[in-house]
Amino acid sequence: MATTTATITLSSTDLLSDELALSTTATLTQAGNSTGVVGTSGLGRKKTGGTSQYILFDGDAYANGAHKVYLKNTSTTAAQYFTIEINSEQMGKLYAGDWCFFPWEANADTNDIKIQPSAADMVLEYMLLIDE
Amino acid sequence: MATTTASITLTSADLLTDVLSLSATNTLYKAGTTIGLDQTTGMTKAYLTAETNIDIFPTLIEGSMAFAGKSSWVYICNKSEDETEFATITISGNIIGKLYAGDYLWMPWSQSEDGHGDNKHGDIELLPSVATGMWFEWCMINEGTEYPTAV
Repeated sequence: MATTTATITLSSTDLLSDELALSTTATLTQAGNSTGVVGTSGLGRKKTGGTSQYILFDGDAYANGAHKVYLKNTSTTAAQYFTIEINSEQMGKLYAGDWCFFPWEANADTNDIKIQPSAADMVLEYMLLIDE
Repeated sequence: MATTTASITLTSADLLTDVLSLSATNTLYKAGTTIGLDQTTGMTKAYLTAETNIDIFPTLIEGSMAFAGKSSWVYICNKSEDETEFATITISGNIIGKLYAGDYLWMPWSQSEDGHGDNKHGDIELLPSVATGMWFEWCMINEGTEYPTAV
């Protein structure tokens, strides 16, 4: 069993009158138990020449589970973003330097995670931690 | 202008043959700019005692023009310590995934109109797996907030 942890830290000294200093660590386990996830896509990078939408993770390719997704827009141009869709619903946009981390159930064949770059030649960094 | 940063560290000594030690930090900016986000819902701490789907940002008018092209970030954490307890997180009525005990998510939120015609307006909803009581925390850091007119 592997032990994998994900720690998020949110901080700001001037968003509010009080300081924001949140830190949470999650140990990534399989659904409904304390066994660590053992599968991963590995850390990858994808560069597309165009701006067409593509399927990053196919819902049909993974069993229903407590998968975790990490995505990062490696661009340094503030206006460039990736649009993230899940099951054809727009989740949000990752602008330059942004990252996100969220659970993915892959609960249906249609539950694909799709990515669309706003400009050509943008590079997305990604990792899937797989409950298998 | 506020400066708010979000960092993640992913670590494992035994997931792979090589050590996993990934870190990323970003400053939260308004969409397409280098101007910091300056609004937040604040952190909600909630004890939910029903297996009922709830809209975690009910006071906001999701899908309104006020949010068109804006940047919003959402944090949700399942504070349960029972490994079998989870929350199903949906967006526009479609399942993103399940947050098991101690899990969190950090995701951008477009608040765009739903694409399946069920009039969910990009709602982020949370469904606890048990009715015996589960603790959660959530917040949003964003730009552009439109509240419903009082009736």
